[in-house]
Amino acid sequence: MQKEWLLLFLAGIFEVVWVSGLKHATAWWEWLITLTAIWFSFKVLIDAAKKLPIGTVYAVFTGLGTAGTVMTEILLLQEPAHPLKLAFIATLSAGVIGLKLVTKDQGEKARRKEHGVDRVVHRRSV
Amino acid sequence: MEWIALFIAGLCEVLGVFAIKRVTEHRSLLSYLLLVVAFGASFSLLMFAMTRISMGTAYAVWTGIGTVGSAVLGMFAFGEPKEWRRLLFICLILVSAVGLKWIS
Repeated sequence: MQKEWLLLFLAGIFEVVWVSGLKHATAWWEWLITLTAIWFSFKVLIDAAKKLPIGTVYAVFTGLGTAGTVMTEILLLQEPAHPLKLAFIATLSAGVIGLKLVTKDQGEKARRKEHGVDRVVHRRSV
Repeated sequence: MEWIALFIAGLCEVLGVFAIKRVTEHRSLLSYLLLVVAFGASFSLLMFAMTRISMGTAYAVWTGIGTVGSAVLGMFAFGEPKEWRRLLFICLILVSAVGLKWIS
């Protein structure tokens, strides 16, 4: 469960790279980085979607991408840090953290059920 | 016309998300092709819509359709949990992302 969430975060970070690339790339090597970031973010997104619900995966992916892009613009491109922007970044983070906690519960419940089944199968085979 | 393009762009995004799910289940050429074509069409239509609709609004609508569509797709096509806490947090992310894109 933890590993899939790390992959999902990685997908979000690489999304920020390629969104910035699509906006600002001019030289050939900048386009190369942009295309590699697109490929890599989708690759890890697919890996995360193998274990986590697709609705959760996509909401977190676009959410992190949006918040990350806005933060990059504030930190690197000196865009104004409008208080409303910071408030939305805070609520978005709360949504991602909440979703992770709720999903963990469900994952553990499923695992416990699986283990229960395993034990029954094991006892029967013995 | 631009609004129709934007709406179809959102639907193509959801189709792309369906393709991601499909790739995780069967790694076939067709799944990957669907993924590339759906997201390609979605981005192209979004770019077209942005020639007339302001970038913030277009992005916000596009993200909204994509996120809601993916959550609905997950719940109704793939039996993902419909628990209220999960829906609440997805809504929180959605409202924040749409808000950020709208004001940026």
